[in-house]
Amino acid sequence: MKNESTVVERIVTTTESGTLSRYWMVSALVGLLFSSVAGLLVSLERIDLSSASIFSTADDVFQFWTAHRVALVLIAVLPLMVGLATAIVPRQVGASRLVFPKMSAFSFWVWLFGALIIITGFLANGGVGTPEATSETQSVALTLVGVLLTIIGLCGASTSVLTTIVAGRVSGISLLNIPAFSWSVLVAGTMWLATLPVLAANTVLVYVDMRGRAPVNFGGEAVVWEQLSWAFTHPQVYLWVLPLLGIVAEIVSAAFKNKMSNPLLFTAIGLTGFAGFGAYAQTYFDIGTPVFEESFSIIQAFIAIPAVLLVVAFISPKIKDVKGFDKQTTIPTVLATLSIVLLLHGVVVGAVHVIGPLELATKSTVSAQIVLTLGAGVLAGMAAFSWWGELLIGKSISQRKILISGLIFHFGVGIFAVADFLVGFTGQNDFTGVSEFAAGTDNSSWVETLNIISFIGSLLILLGVIAAIATSVQNALSKTPASGNPWGADTLEWESKEKEEVA
Amino acid sequence: MATVLPPAPLNRPRTLMVGTAFITSAALMFFGCLFSIYFSIRSDTMAWGMEWFPENAIELVPGGMNMATLSISVATMGWAVYAVKNDDRVHAYLALILTSLMGVAMINQTVFYYMDIGLPIDHSEAALLLYVITGAHLVMVGIGVIWLGLLLLRAFGGQDTSRHRDLVSAVSIYWYSTVFIYIFIWLFIYIGK
Repeated sequence: MKNESTVVERIVTTTESGTLSRYWMVSALVGLLFSSVAGLLVSLERIDLSSASIFSTADDVFQFWTAHRVALVLIAVLPLMVGLATAIVPRQVGASRLVFPKMSAFSFWVWLFGALIIITGFLANGGVGTPEATSETQSVALTLVGVLLTIIGLCGASTSVLTTIVAGRVSGISLLNIPAFSWSVLVAGTMWLATLPVLAANTVLVYVDMRGRAPVNFGGEAVVWEQLSWAFTHPQVYLWVLPLLGIVAEIVSAAFKNKMSNPLLFTAIGLTGFAGFGAYAQTYFDIGTPVFEESFSIIQAFIAIPAVLLVVAFISPKIKDVKGFDKQTTIPTVLATLSIVLLLHGVVVGAVHVIGPLELATKSTVSAQIVLTLGAGVLAGMAAFSWWGELLIGKSISQRKILISGLIFHFGVGIFAVADFLVGFTGQNDFTGVSEFAAGTDNSSWVETLNIISFIGSLLILLGVIAAIATSVQNALSKTPASGNPWGADTLEWESKEKEEVA
Repeated sequence: MATVLPPAPLNRPRTLMVGTAFITSAALMFFGCLFSIYFSIRSDTMAWGMEWFPENAIELVPGGMNMATLSISVATMGWAVYAVKNDDRVHAYLALILTSLMGVAMINQTVFYYMDIGLPIDHSEAALLLYVITGAHLVMVGIGVIWLGLLLLRAFGGQDTSRHRDLVSAVSIYWYSTVFIYIFIWLFIYIGK
């Protein structure tokens, strides 16, 4: 019988995990582009702290500053991770498909609709409010609806992947024997389901208070960001990028032909997940007692413990087996290693910025930590594409171009983070506004130089993203068929690929 | 004569129950956040010696009736699960219909309760939080009722048998969590005020 469905129908109604994964990842790249452009404009504005340069008011800067962070988390990094998990996890656990394919498809479209609404809300003078409340209330409400929809989409997709791991995996594989990436997705997804609804609750409260009348408290445009910001900063950002630990473990294990110690690695991933839980860190509801603030900092600094465990888990089996390195895997291994390096730097900066006497908790150091951590997640996504790309798109991919994109992005993140970390010590605030008073520091040559360096970092980040998008398009158009299992990896996803080809 | 053995129990993963457990946990976190904010703001307000809810604004009876209704629905939901497990279709229909009716009654009583309370939503932080928490719970109950309705349709189509009872078990998890959340609303908002 002739299949009469149109191309649009096929695109909209597909429930195939590989196709959905590609939708997630392409959309995430576009979200990353939006976020990078917003970040670049804010960096450009910061070069001269004494006055407005490209924006007209501090509120305009604030909208782009928040757009950068919201988009980076909800429209770029999280969908990137969900997209990878959607394609790889079912194969790794021996499931023929996701257990709730229709829910996965529905979740993607809900998320995409939400992401478009968020972008529209920001462009329509809305976003997540502004300090001087000059934004359009209706547009802020619109953005909040977008945030809610993206959360619903991400929760739905995570539930489908998690259920596939827990109840859909092939019999005979215990949870402690699943591949590292699937384990990291299990931990991350569970914690996402514990934190994204909290963000949804905050959003609902703000939205209800904002609509139709003068706000009682929560819906004031000047305090919206304060209530939602915990989801876009330390320690919550560690949770958003948690699957990167699994990605790196998979690649490094195969590169050195040496399976890592699962108990140690899985414990480190689990602890990072718990330490990354940031829903409690809602400063808007902080009662402000010294004891509370002290314990808050101590809890946040605990993220360093799983990081140390992680380093031990990664390094310990490698030293004695370094001769076993498979040179063919150089490119994904380099990208994976660079991503873990960024993450560890993010952890160190995060631990430093909560040390009370340094008074860095609201300074530019926060920005350095966020970009290092979320940048590590994006770079891990590139490493994953380099590693599993042939499985994801079914074609041979250009490894060298992925490496170039990744290196540009990595250096961009590194340069940006170093400059923002250092300028934080001069007292420069995380949000600088358009005056020296708002910036918290004078516009000395030292500060200006660091802000110029930070801008160069932002520019490199944007170039890296553009290069990654160009590489993805080129790979998608490639006509060279995939070569099967190019790395000789022994995890199940490569087996299922071969089976599919036979079928 | 060869002994005819009964068919082996179906050994398949209960994906619907696992998925529902994940979604329900997420819903619990949603309400956990709202309750945390409620207690935090309430604590600050009381510490300043200010009034949280106006005197006699919240009567106890409607809230108690809601609690009683939902408590009975826990029993009818358990009855539905038991009946489906034992292929007792008539009792399964009855139990599912009763549970749905309890849900509808709860929604009806809550609307009455709102009118009885009479506080405008912008009266205070307390009123806003009251309506957001109970309103979100009302949505949760509404989803449960719709889910039960769909379940009934499937049951009438003969799909909810002991070999396909996951959907009933899944909706029961969701329903119990809905009642669990209401216990907090009843104790800490309506009674504790």
